[in-house]
Amino acid sequence: MKMPGDKPTSFVERIQTIDRRILYALIFISVIVPLFLPLKLPVPVTPETRDFFNAVEALPDSSIVMLPFDFWPSTMAETEPMAVVGLRHLFGKHCYVVGLSNVGMGGPTIADRLLDSIGGEFGRIYGIDYVNLGYKPDYRAVMLGMGTRISDIFPTDYRDTPIEDIPLMRRVPNYDSVAFIFIVADNVAVDYWVGLVNARFGKPMGAGVTAVMAPKNLSFVQAGQLIGLMGGMKGCAEYENLLERPARATRGMDSQSMIHLFIVVFIIMGNVGYYAGKRRAARS
Amino acid sequence: MIVAFFGTGDMLADFSNEALRYMSIVAGFALLLGVISITRVSAGVVRKREKDWPHKIVLLLCLFTMAGFGIFQGITSGTVFEWLFENIQKPMMATMFSVLAFFIASAAYRAFRARTVEATILLITAVVVMLGRVPMGQYVYEHFPAVANWIMMFPSVAVQRGIIIGAALGAASMSLRIILGIERTYMGRG
Repeated sequence: MKMPGDKPTSFVERIQTIDRRILYALIFISVIVPLFLPLKLPVPVTPETRDFFNAVEALPDSSIVMLPFDFWPSTMAETEPMAVVGLRHLFGKHCYVVGLSNVGMGGPTIADRLLDSIGGEFGRIYGIDYVNLGYKPDYRAVMLGMGTRISDIFPTDYRDTPIEDIPLMRRVPNYDSVAFIFIVADNVAVDYWVGLVNARFGKPMGAGVTAVMAPKNLSFVQAGQLIGLMGGMKGCAEYENLLERPARATRGMDSQSMIHLFIVVFIIMGNVGYYAGKRRAARS
Repeated sequence: MIVAFFGTGDMLADFSNEALRYMSIVAGFALLLGVISITRVSAGVVRKREKDWPHKIVLLLCLFTMAGFGIFQGITSGTVFEWLFENIQKPMMATMFSVLAFFIASAAYRAFRARTVEATILLITAVVVMLGRVPMGQYVYEHFPAVANWIMMFPSVAVQRGIIIGAALGAASMSLRIILGIERTYMGRG
């Protein structure tokens, strides 16, 4: 009779008891290798990402767009490429970007860095073509308050410049001047943008969210409250390909493909072992 | 606030914005309250040399170092706060999140078993969505992306909508209970 701790002898036992260190090593390899040896698999585009892209594409040139950087540094692998592709699309269309963040820790810092670096790529100037309003506590107060007067909520920008001294902000007293809201978020902020700003002020908006948040936010897409959605790294890769500027998300898709395939194979192996073991036990 | 949400007019808007400014200020003080609370709890643990007290020293040191640089030097680019954030905090947070991939893969392999009909349905759905949401899925079976998208757009959205409506009703009823003074547990009373 087998005792707990005995070494597995049969194939069925072995595939059910693979050492977790081997699993970790395989995951590591399946993430790293495709980054160096890209498979360059084509990325099929989902309707919600295409709708999002088309909505931004349809904006008149020189529109004013608000881009909330509502994500924490922990999810940057997924969310930062979304903000980057959004900024490239908007600056490429000569849109003016009003950045802000409803995440105190990290959001405004990330916003500042990305606005400067992507703005720099297109020769845009801080204060004239884009601005970073920074962070103020409480989602609801910020989102609703900006509907009346942005200067009430943000008397200064992230760099402590009074809002009335910023040329771009003189043209943006409230949401009336904003043509579109391009949300990038990893948390419940999207619910508030939809529930407060879309519902109250009727502003069209689309969102880039982490993959785990996508199922919930698809209900907003179906209801027409969000025009489109970038769901996780896959959604971002789709957007990058629609923009014809493949970047970090597209490169990451090979690793994601490998790791998903790897997990599925191991789930199947675990189940084959489980059923084979059950059959053997029933027979004996 | 509720009237201002549905109504229009300058006076209403001014009143609503004033209330919102107060809300933002109160939220700022709530953050301060959080800092005071974590300092009190952590300092108590250190003083009594309770379990993991060295970790609490690290916590307090990090908290006050970041806050100190942020308050006295600012948080914009080129400051020490920004350097600490970019080079220490950000990589640490990203690492914590990345480690999840290893645990999820290991847990899926060990625990995801088709023991019952419900578990089997969940397992098949998970496999289809996992493969359908990555480019490689179309090479395993060409219809995987379409099937995965259908699952995401219909059965999944239906369930999500139910959860959202349920949570909203719960929040509304809880708010009513608080407004009417029925719910007082948040004040430490039943």
